[in-house]
Amino acid sequence: MKSIKHISWVVLLFLTAVTSCKKLDLVPTDRFTDVNYWTSTEKANSILNTAYSQMFNSSRFFLNEALSDNAYNGRGDNEGVASIASGTYDASLGRIKSEWNDHYSGIKTCNLFLDNVDRIENMDPALKARMKGEARFLRAFQYFQLMTWFGDVPLFDKDITLEESLSIGRSPRADVLAFILSELDAAIEALPVNTAYAQADRGRITKGAALGLKARVYLYEGRWQDVATTCEAIMSGNNGSYSLFNSYAGLFLPQNENNSEVLLDFQFDPVNRTYNHLFDFAPISVGARLNALAPTQELVDSYLMTNGRTINEAGSGYDAEDPYVNRDARMTATVVYHNYNWTRPDGTSKIIYIKPGTDPDETKMDEYAAGGVSSPTGYYLRKYYDPTSLTNFVSGLNLILIRYADVLLMYAEARNELGTMDESVWNQTVRALRNRAGFVDPMALNFNASLGQDGLRTAIRNERRTELAMEGLRVFDIRRWKTAEVVLNGWAHGAKYGPTSIDNGYIRANQRVFDPGKHYLWPIPRDERNLNPNLQQNPGW
Amino acid sequence: MYINFTASNRSQSCIKLRICRMMKLTCILILLAGLQVTAKTYAQKISLKFKDAPLEDVLLNIRQQSGFDFLYTSDLLTQANPVTLNLKDASIEEALKLCVAGQPFTYQINQKTVTLTAIKVVKQQNLTVTGRVIDRTNQALPGVSIRVKGASIGTITDQEGRYRLTVPAATSVLVFSYVGYETVERTVNNQQQINVTLSEDAQALNDVVIVGYGTQRRTSVTGAVDQINAAELEGKPAMNATQALQGVSPNLIVQQRSAEPGGAINLNIRGVGTMGDNSPLVVIDGIVGGDINLLNPSDIQSVSVLKDAGSAAIYGSRSSNGVILVTTKQGSKNSGTRVTLNALTGVQVPHILYKPVQGFENAILRNEANVNAGLTPIYSPEQIRDFQSRGDEQWFLNGILKNALQQNHNVSLSGGNANSSYLVSVGYADQENNLVGQNFGLKRYNYRINMNNEYGKFKLTSILSYAKTQINDHSSSTSTLIVDAGRVPTIFKMKDEQGRYLTNEVLAEFNPLGQLEKGGYRKYDNDNLFGSLNAELAVTDFLKLRAVVGGTLTANHLFARTLRVDYYPKGTSGADRNTNDENTKNLFLNTQFLAEFNKTFAQKHAVNALLGVSNESTNNEENRLYRRFTDPELGTPITETVIDPNSSNTNQRTNESSLNSLFGRAGYSFDDKYYGQVDFRVDGSSKFSKQNRWGFFPAISAGYRISQEDFMENYRQRFGDLKIRGSYGILGNQNVGNYQFQTTYFSFQNAYAFNNSVVSGTGFNFANPDIRWERASTFNIGVDATFFKNSLTVSVDYFDKVTRDILVAPVVPGIFGTSLPDFNSAKMQNRGWEASINYRISGEQFKHQIGLNVGDSKNKVLDYGGRERISSSDEMQFIIREGLPFNSYVGLKTDGYFQNIDEVNSGPKPEGISVLPGDIRYVDVNKDGVINDRDRYVLGNAFPRFTFGVTYAVSFKNFDANIFIQGVGRRDAFIRGEMVEPYHFNYGQVMYQHQLDYWTPTNPDARYPRLAANGSQSNANNYRRGSDAYIYDASYARLKNLQIGYSLSSETAKKIGMQKLRIYASGQNLLTFSKLKFLDPENTEFNNNLSNSGANSARAYPTPIYIGMGLDVTF
Repeated sequence: MKSIKHISWVVLLFLTAVTSCKKLDLVPTDRFTDVNYWTSTEKANSILNTAYSQMFNSSRFFLNEALSDNAYNGRGDNEGVASIASGTYDASLGRIKSEWNDHYSGIKTCNLFLDNVDRIENMDPALKARMKGEARFLRAFQYFQLMTWFGDVPLFDKDITLEESLSIGRSPRADVLAFILSELDAAIEALPVNTAYAQADRGRITKGAALGLKARVYLYEGRWQDVATTCEAIMSGNNGSYSLFNSYAGLFLPQNENNSEVLLDFQFDPVNRTYNHLFDFAPISVGARLNALAPTQELVDSYLMTNGRTINEAGSGYDAEDPYVNRDARMTATVVYHNYNWTRPDGTSKIIYIKPGTDPDETKMDEYAAGGVSSPTGYYLRKYYDPTSLTNFVSGLNLILIRYADVLLMYAEARNELGTMDESVWNQTVRALRNRAGFVDPMALNFNASLGQDGLRTAIRNERRTELAMEGLRVFDIRRWKTAEVVLNGWAHGAKYGPTSIDNGYIRANQRVFDPGKHYLWPIPRDERNLNPNLQQNPGW
Repeated sequence: MYINFTASNRSQSCIKLRICRMMKLTCILILLAGLQVTAKTYAQKISLKFKDAPLEDVLLNIRQQSGFDFLYTSDLLTQANPVTLNLKDASIEEALKLCVAGQPFTYQINQKTVTLTAIKVVKQQNLTVTGRVIDRTNQALPGVSIRVKGASIGTITDQEGRYRLTVPAATSVLVFSYVGYETVERTVNNQQQINVTLSEDAQALNDVVIVGYGTQRRTSVTGAVDQINAAELEGKPAMNATQALQGVSPNLIVQQRSAEPGGAINLNIRGVGTMGDNSPLVVIDGIVGGDINLLNPSDIQSVSVLKDAGSAAIYGSRSSNGVILVTTKQGSKNSGTRVTLNALTGVQVPHILYKPVQGFENAILRNEANVNAGLTPIYSPEQIRDFQSRGDEQWFLNGILKNALQQNHNVSLSGGNANSSYLVSVGYADQENNLVGQNFGLKRYNYRINMNNEYGKFKLTSILSYAKTQINDHSSSTSTLIVDAGRVPTIFKMKDEQGRYLTNEVLAEFNPLGQLEKGGYRKYDNDNLFGSLNAELAVTDFLKLRAVVGGTLTANHLFARTLRVDYYPKGTSGADRNTNDENTKNLFLNTQFLAEFNKTFAQKHAVNALLGVSNESTNNEENRLYRRFTDPELGTPITETVIDPNSSNTNQRTNESSLNSLFGRAGYSFDDKYYGQVDFRVDGSSKFSKQNRWGFFPAISAGYRISQEDFMENYRQRFGDLKIRGSYGILGNQNVGNYQFQTTYFSFQNAYAFNNSVVSGTGFNFANPDIRWERASTFNIGVDATFFKNSLTVSVDYFDKVTRDILVAPVVPGIFGTSLPDFNSAKMQNRGWEASINYRISGEQFKHQIGLNVGDSKNKVLDYGGRERISSSDEMQFIIREGLPFNSYVGLKTDGYFQNIDEVNSGPKPEGISVLPGDIRYVDVNKDGVINDRDRYVLGNAFPRFTFGVTYAVSFKNFDANIFIQGVGRRDAFIRGEMVEPYHFNYGQVMYQHQLDYWTPTNPDARYPRLAANGSQSNANNYRRGSDAYIYDASYARLKNLQIGYSLSSETAKKIGMQKLRIYASGQNLLTFSKLKFLDPENTEFNNNLSNSGANSARAYPTPIYIGMGLDVTF
């Protein structure tokens, strides 16, 4: 009995020993806290890398084209583009909110970097100045995108508190614009030219990129003299070395990444940082699963004949029943059409049969069939197809955000608007582009002063559309030209596979509505306004 | 007439006469015990020498020598035999013993009086009663306590329920009692065999109820506690304890988003009390935080559900969502070895409620949808004729489902001796998956050993249990496979004659059959070891000290491979050829010290107190290795293999938390009539900063057993017991992530790439330095009443809980640029009631038991900082707004259809949309002529209301039946996708039969609007807006379980060497009554936090119907 009593006390003591209080001050093992983060250049650089990753969005890069008359998102409502293009959206649309939020997330990263980078001791001042320049560019780019969609937006250049974020109002667009321009000037000052970067740093923001963005900002404002001046700064060769790449199709191939035409791109890596949007854009028979982005007949129609005429022009030689011959070669580099010769990665080729009833293969995957998974317009996307992509189109091909061709077109447009378009400017810009595109007919290449300013405007605008098609810029052009209300009202069409009684047989793909009274600006997201009473809504919403 | 030999005075003889009268009345004069105690006190020496002398002479002699008085009836000695004896210096006892030897009477000594009584009476005194105690299912009940009322004589039944007890008198009353059963009294009345049937009685007044850190008698419980006993879980083909708990306790709500083996289950007590995690705290055998789903349901003795502050406050900071206490079975002391075997095997039949229309019909309908949208028809008349003549192929969804076997087996061994008891059990559960493929499903192995040892005042309880769970899953996502398979019209084949998996225009890049049969697997292999050591020392009879160390060691492993499958004519899945490993190790330790005081003063003042300290700590470590492009056959690394950047080392996935606590309880009751109790807990958590770390959670509760009052005597006699109880307290919730009070920076790989070379980036998590506990003020009032001698019990509770400082991630405006961790920023009220009624009636042949439980709760957001938040998931939108239930559905309200062009022209339409007759008309709330965001209505709520369970058990002779119906009285389900919208986004190319009720000019009151293909304005009007067109009434009543059993009579069973044998059929989900006909109304679109991953779009694994046979044998 006594020994049992002893045992019981021993057990109790043992239990006491193993239960000594565990401490309650626990820290995570895999992350830094604010106290020990801002201690090295590497850590600051890591934040900057995050800011780069927030610069753009690959999905929107492609799908934004369906916000314009160039393409149609016929399956799902990816990135909200179907709703927006058809005019059936309001302030609660997810895209409106995510577009807004994503830019402010990027701004936060830049602000955190700029607010804290000076806490790092012993940092190389030159490197610090450059990194600050990169951050300021990235922040300005975010504000530019915000301003373009929403007009007046909340503007701040320091990280804000939650309380501030709940009460801050929209700054006038002019203030936002002034901030963007002054920040770009600071970035231009701080950043090296493209050739001054080490090879490993290719993809970082350059002086030329900042100038290119500045030109685009002026372009969207219609400040033609400033556009011209800024473009000239780039074209002069004093701010980096840029030229047109020798092949239009090759411009978008992986082996030609970082070529001489690129001012700014959104960079990827073939294995670890990839996208596979073409899985939903490319022809089905070469491996896509369905079609969610289809070029329109309107885009196809905008490509010139090889003789430089538009298809509707007298003497163009256009045959609506054989529409894809004698056309601008850039069309073949951009759009897949009936009987297209698709080159596979292994060099073999595949004819893409789109016209109903033409595919010798029983499966008829790419043939147009209303309501099927194939393209609702009868066209597929070719541009940015990466022959080295992995299964299901997983690709690391960089997406070019500003290229030299764009600079030339901006310059041409500005000089024309300024009334100073002449043969030398034409040759420097449009002719150079058409040359590179493979036009040989002098009709297509030579400057035609008789067109006059209006005629040249039409030509330059069309040149811009075809040169930059499916690169996400068309929607901004039609909005700044105020032509959206024309081209985005009514039906978007597909190829001539429909009943002849309707629209001459061109497929009615999607009915669009654009209300000029309100659609030129997106509404401020509903959720933002619910939280912040000081955010006024745009007119008409 | 009594003859009195006495040497004493008269007054003494008076006393003796009274004794004599008592003797006559009762036939019992002196207790046996008294005899033993007093026997030794007589030292008088007696010497006798007689030969064949009359007894009377001998007695007179003894009287003279000893001075003892003798007492006997006059006729007694006439039956006496002559006596011969020779004694020297013997005691009076020895002398008397010899005198009565062989005589028809015996003697008793009381003080200095010797009483002689006839032997007939003596025989009655030593009456031996035997018998057997069984329960209502004719099962023997071992360990039943049998006491003689008013005496300290007793025994317990053996393994066969048999007992043998010698009782002092024929008029003795035997009291049969057994925990969890009604106590029964029987008067012996000279019967030598008394068989008793005990009724189980969860509500019995003297039941012991398991509460936090102890037990209480049912009568003295002042909180809202519901106890579920093993019987209510038996025979159900439930794969885990949570499923078995569905519907058995009011306001204990069990929901599943998918019935797939291993699928997550929502467990909720009393509705939505917080915006965060609403999961209750689970305590298994006194150790906090176990996984209830890893238990072998057969091991469960009881489950206590602590619902209010009065019962749960002792669990302090984790108790606001309620507490579930699970107690596992123990062996009984003093019982032989008992072996129990349960086997249940059945088949799960997949049950899809929606059906596609025939292939050719579908073609016609698609044409109609296209033409209505201004598009061209898709199929030519020839094609349609062709589809019709060819007939239908097997629908893909049917093609990927099969009947699946399910088995639940259990063997247990239990017993004990005087000082110890044990229970050892082994369980095996095997649920095959209804999806075809490589033997997908879940297997669980359970092993348990529960030991109790007593060494005098020291008691040691040791529990060790082990659970192994193996889930073999396919490499894809079930919801994707289900929804995609359902989208294919029946004109397509799944596999051709050459065995190739076919793709088609709907599923262009993969086919679910190929995925399942060839696409690889995910193998989960999870080990869980639970142990606890509970040492108890009874320092005195009123003070006990207890020390508990317990914990769980979890080691989970996942090995997964994705195999490449090529389809014909095109499509590839699994091209990455992933080979993945995930390892998780989690150690949870809980240590407790408790002191318990329990004493009754002056028989009426019962006082109990408990004080304890505890620590709980968790350490979770994980590592993950993901490889891509591994060897297609072996999965081993080869030249092109890369390590996926999502791989992680242990230091990237380590989580620690710790909680120190002081807790206690003090209770007082007076005369089993008035009860009062105070509970508290002080918790300190590592999840909060030093300033906000400690929280105090008190509760008070009281009970009044009004039926015990004298003035209620009449009521008590006529009806039964009546008790009112109430409680109020503050409960806490700390179900939040770790480290949220510190801003942290973490690096992640592949943030960006420069020059085709990836770089890492840094992300940040902003802190809420002020984060602290949620606090729920919880009020409860309840009434417990019994009627008709406890055969009808009724319990009703009302509760009102207001949770403050709810931890919820604040609604952060986009311009803030990042999200924030949880803030203590909201306030919510949750009110409701519950009732349970049990009625039992036993006849000679039939025995019925009816149980009904029903509960309801309704929550309301009281404070959300004056803001509101609308979240959306596709068309589904839900709102947090002050005054509304949490996450209520909002959207447009439909107003029938535009019936003609005039209505179209004059009616309100959404912005930018032109509609046609047959399209949905919405209510223009703000009368501005346009349908937009400002016209939103509150459409309903997804949380189940009026949940109920009904059990009816009946037995007739050896047959028994058990019917269990469970359901929900009100629930709004948001269902979207192809179930509602024909040819949804063109993802689906099948129309289902329930959708045929669509608008046409001749069917103006249809359920669905006119057909119009994707991309049309009509389609955008009808389906791109969240509206009540998507809301379905998902209330239901379901025959959840039906059992019909037959037991061998105990005699027959014994002949074949068994104590008990029952064979039964069990069916699950046999019948469902609901207005929602095409989907299982039980499937919810939300998890336990009322957050979702999209509306219900018919992606859930179909809830199977189960039919099986079971066998229970006890040796």
